[in-house]
Amino acid sequence: MTAILALERVGKSFGGLTALSDISFSVEAGEIVGVIGPNGAGKTTLFNVITAVFPPTEGSVVFDGEALGGLPSHAIARRGIGRTFQNIRLFPAMTVEENVMVGRHCRTRAGVWRGVLRTRGEREEERGTRARTRDLLDLVGLSGADPGQAAGSLPYGHQRRLEIARALASEPRLLLLDEPAAGMNDSETEEMFRLIRRVRELGVTILLIEHDMSLVMKACDRLVVFNFGRKIAEGTPLAIREDPGVVEAYLGFQEGNGDA
Amino acid sequence: MEWINPYHLQVASFVLINVLLGVSIYVTLSTGQLSLGNAGFMSIGAYTAALLATNFQVPIPLGIAAGGLLAGAAGVLVGIPSLRLSGVYLAIATLGFGEVVRAVAINWESLTGGAVGIAGIPQMGRVILARSRDLGLSPESLGMRPNQFISLLVFLILLAASTLVVAFFLRLARSRVGRAYAAIRLDERAAESAGIPVTYYKVLAFSQGAMVSGLAGALFAHSTSFISPADFTYHRAVEILIFAVFGGSGHILGPVFGAALLTTLPEALRTVSHYRYILYGVLVVLMMIFRPQGIVDPPLLRRLRPGRTGGAA
Repeated sequence: MTAILALERVGKSFGGLTALSDISFSVEAGEIVGVIGPNGAGKTTLFNVITAVFPPTEGSVVFDGEALGGLPSHAIARRGIGRTFQNIRLFPAMTVEENVMVGRHCRTRAGVWRGVLRTRGEREEERGTRARTRDLLDLVGLSGADPGQAAGSLPYGHQRRLEIARALASEPRLLLLDEPAAGMNDSETEEMFRLIRRVRELGVTILLIEHDMSLVMKACDRLVVFNFGRKIAEGTPLAIREDPGVVEAYLGFQEGNGDA
Repeated sequence: MEWINPYHLQVASFVLINVLLGVSIYVTLSTGQLSLGNAGFMSIGAYTAALLATNFQVPIPLGIAAGGLLAGAAGVLVGIPSLRLSGVYLAIATLGFGEVVRAVAINWESLTGGAVGIAGIPQMGRVILARSRDLGLSPESLGMRPNQFISLLVFLILLAASTLVVAFFLRLARSRVGRAYAAIRLDERAAESAGIPVTYYKVLAFSQGAMVSGLAGALFAHSTSFISPADFTYHRAVEILIFAVFGGSGHILGPVFGAALLTTLPEALRTVSHYRYILYGVLVVLMMIFRPQGIVDPPLLRRLRPGRTGGAA
């Protein structure tokens, strides 16, 4: 197996505040790797560093053998890293269909003139985009939703799925999912689990932040555990469950804060 | 042909120039950037066309194209540093840009004629009238007086120009680039993460808005045959903003409607035209209270066109 993503001593500080320090781990192609840790451990910051929302202040992120240093976010999406956000960030006033179509942007080419003149190539490309959009809506289980409906009016669970469809539209080889099951009930979480598995079967590697432990244990091949911006453990779900350091991080947090 | 009223046509021509200006602010706004510099870009377009025509006898269509292009290029130059600004800061910076352009126009007397402005710019209608006389075609043979013929020509040229521009941006809005604009307006970070080069499109939209303003300015110069810095003041910038605020900026027809109504209204109410800016102020306050998104918004357009699903259809 080859590492599709490798973090090498990655650090991120905001002024004097260190959000991540000395993070190294790698993700093999085809894996589902879970990122867990208490709130504020730096999990979302990790995603933001990988996608260059905040470029790392130390170390480097290597994707598919090439360092991503200096690339802007959109170029990283083009390279093949898609993501979703912890607080869903759809384009609420755009339709369901348009949201996914936006995700196709970096895989399509029609510019201003071709779009305005509706050249044959442009019309073909748009047809392709729409067909692909339908397939993706199907894949995430939104084939029943009205594609012309405003995305903001979808129920919460559907918005999460739509965001995944938008991310998949850019044909990522690595998908970063930030708490995809947050706020979902058991049956919705189960559906999300199945969707994640389906996405992996398409050949997409997945890095997953999730608080729902039953989902994490079930879905992930490996886990990376964060606490206070550091990686404190890495291993299979079974090994992590037994790891005294991890147990202490979670329980210690619980004692101090009354928080899960 | 008595029904052709030059005065009405002139008002209609001003409506069309204002429609272009309304479109210009809409285009930039469609990526979430509020530019109040469009009076400045209009001025660049107007002066370019006027100077090319009066100093170098450049054919009018070429001069108009040059005016639009130069304004668009200025839009790139202003747009790139403006990327660091957003919201009200961008509005202030671009308003400042407009004032800088006006100050240059006033003080560079050797080129721009200073505060007096430029007179004797070839008027489109008159030029075409002279040409058609040369070809043996006179307005009288169409049953029109020369001034009717001239105003009609100017109106038709402006109608063609504004229709083309509106059609251009209507189509653009429904294309891949238009979706990118909308995505950037709604959530820049999500757009960037979805693979849209936000910086590129923001500068592109800014420049397109500037180019449309410049085009409007150039057409204005060749419609009135006289321009001066007083045509491109802060008041003009605010007027353009009000077209979008009043008409609505969620759809291109919003500022088009705003420009049309707010240009004809003062003419229709000539007796109170002194109170024009007071009227504008009251309108804006009322709009903010009762319809902050403007008169025309996508849901309204959907209701007016049953059977059509807006946006992606």
